[in-house]
Amino acid sequence: MSVDIVVQLLISGISLGSIYALVALALVIPFKASGVLNFGQGEMVTLGAYIALFLSLTTPLPYYVIVPLTLVLAALVGLLCERLFIRPLVKTPEFTIVIGTFALGLMVKFAIRLYWQDNVYALTVPFSTNPWLLGTVRVNPVFVSIIACAVLLVGVLALFFQYTRTGKAMRAVSQSQEAARLMGISVEWVFATTWALGTAIAALAGILFAPVTGIHPEIGNLILKAFVAAVIGGFNSLPGAVIGGLMLGLVETFSGAIASSTFKNVIAFAVLILVLLVRPHGLFGSAGARRV
Amino acid sequence: MRSTRLTWLVLAALLLAVPPALGTYELYVVNIALVNIVLAIGLNVLTGNAGQISLCNSSFMAIGAYACTLLTVRLGLSFWLALPVGGVVAAAFGCVLALPAMRLTGFYLALATLGFLEITQIMIEEFPDITGGIRGMIAPRPTLFGWKFGSDLALYYIIMPIVVGLALVARNLLRSPVGRSFDAIRNSVPAAQSLGISPERTKLIAFAIAALYAGIAGGLGAAIVGFIDPVEYGAGASLRHITFIVVGGMGSLLGSIVGAVVLTLLPELLRGLKEYSDFVYAALLLAFLIFLPQGLVGLGPKLARLRRNDRTVGQTLEPERGTS
Repeated sequence: MSVDIVVQLLISGISLGSIYALVALALVIPFKASGVLNFGQGEMVTLGAYIALFLSLTTPLPYYVIVPLTLVLAALVGLLCERLFIRPLVKTPEFTIVIGTFALGLMVKFAIRLYWQDNVYALTVPFSTNPWLLGTVRVNPVFVSIIACAVLLVGVLALFFQYTRTGKAMRAVSQSQEAARLMGISVEWVFATTWALGTAIAALAGILFAPVTGIHPEIGNLILKAFVAAVIGGFNSLPGAVIGGLMLGLVETFSGAIASSTFKNVIAFAVLILVLLVRPHGLFGSAGARRV
Repeated sequence: MRSTRLTWLVLAALLLAVPPALGTYELYVVNIALVNIVLAIGLNVLTGNAGQISLCNSSFMAIGAYACTLLTVRLGLSFWLALPVGGVVAAAFGCVLALPAMRLTGFYLALATLGFLEITQIMIEEFPDITGGIRGMIAPRPTLFGWKFGSDLALYYIIMPIVVGLALVARNLLRSPVGRSFDAIRNSVPAAQSLGISPERTKLIAFAIAALYAGIAGGLGAAIVGFIDPVEYGAGASLRHITFIVVGGMGSLLGSIVGAVVLTLLPELLRGLKEYSDFVYAALLLAFLIFLPQGLVGLGPKLARLRRNDRTVGQTLEPERGTS
């Protein structure tokens, strides 16, 4: 395998991994705060892509306005879902949460399918998608845009959790809801904002991924890979989710190139079950991570 | 006592006498409902009684369907032998899944079962020489002593006793020490352990039973439909099985039956809303989880209590709030 190919595989692996990492973050952030794992978050990825598509088809707005607008709308959807469906489920057994969020996701998917059918749509991006030639290495600008956005987002999130009041409140709630409440933090508000944040990140992943596969109702299946990424990372660790996502993206890309596509498809889930079997709290999670 | 025996007799008479009066399509739907009952009973033992989340019930159904059909087509085995063998093969896979599953709870268990579902789906698609891949596989009608069960009515008279038998087995099992240990580990694993119940062994048995029932249901379903379509065994199907038991009533045998029958007939009644049926299913599931977690069978005692409360309020001028 020549160096060129390795570099190319690295870039596509990291960009795929970045998408996994974003969706994993969209899972882990609300989970850390509220203890609710959203099995329907994949449909928020789909929904984000479709909102952007809808805006680009019905309004004359440019791409750079549509993207932030989509994120805001997705955040509103997240707030709404949290208020209407998730809050009644927070104190229920895990079975109810798993199935409830799964059902919510399916409803979104079926609603999208009723309106848009199974067609594959393309979201026009404002840059050329012809590969750049860097020496002898061909680089797809779509992949570069994904990596750039992911790096930017992770940086902004790190600053957000470190320095802003809301970010600190989220961290406080994830450590101890009771103590956070005693410090005057509205736990309900934090739940709602983490859901809004999670949904917005999921929507961003959907928009970024759209040029790679096109927009169709099954984009949300990405969630399965994000689960694997989050499990590798330890489910209650944000850096873990990012690293888990990148690792999975690289492993999949390279195993697809070296071994067969069957192997590539199966490896994520084999890793999932293996990690759950050997090290259920992942590489970066704490062993005591239990939902209270 | 006498009245319950009478109910059983009437029920048996209905099960035997009504089907000949039905049309081909109605019989087909009735047969599908019977298969769904088996699926729901197995899953309800695992989820409702033993308290284990499983998002891969449809995978065991797929394993049973493929095993049963391949055994009859490739090895020329009789359907009546292939059906239980298919169930046992599925149960063996259930035990394999139980190895990681018995160490996990809650979300992690849900994820492990989801991983198993995906691996099964990928395996079906990646080995088209054996499974027919995404194009599926034709499943032959079962034969007995050279006589082919060509009509849906003949199939019904074969499937119905199997389903009744499986329901009775489940009923007796749930009343046995094994069944009680399911309830014990659902309620509290430490308490169950202090009574000498091994949670690992109990979970293993629960997964094996759910897989066995799903495997048999898979074989029966393939024979009824005459075709195996791998798309029918995805996450959506597993969610549908979960909807059966949530709507019917978790941890209740009657609930499994009620849920499976109601939800199989419902889309037929709402024929005009066919394209919305998936959406309606998911919405029903969510609504029951939030508003009626005990399911339809939980509705009976609730209504009875309401009526009793009304009566006490009506009889006494000063309503006593003694009833809870």
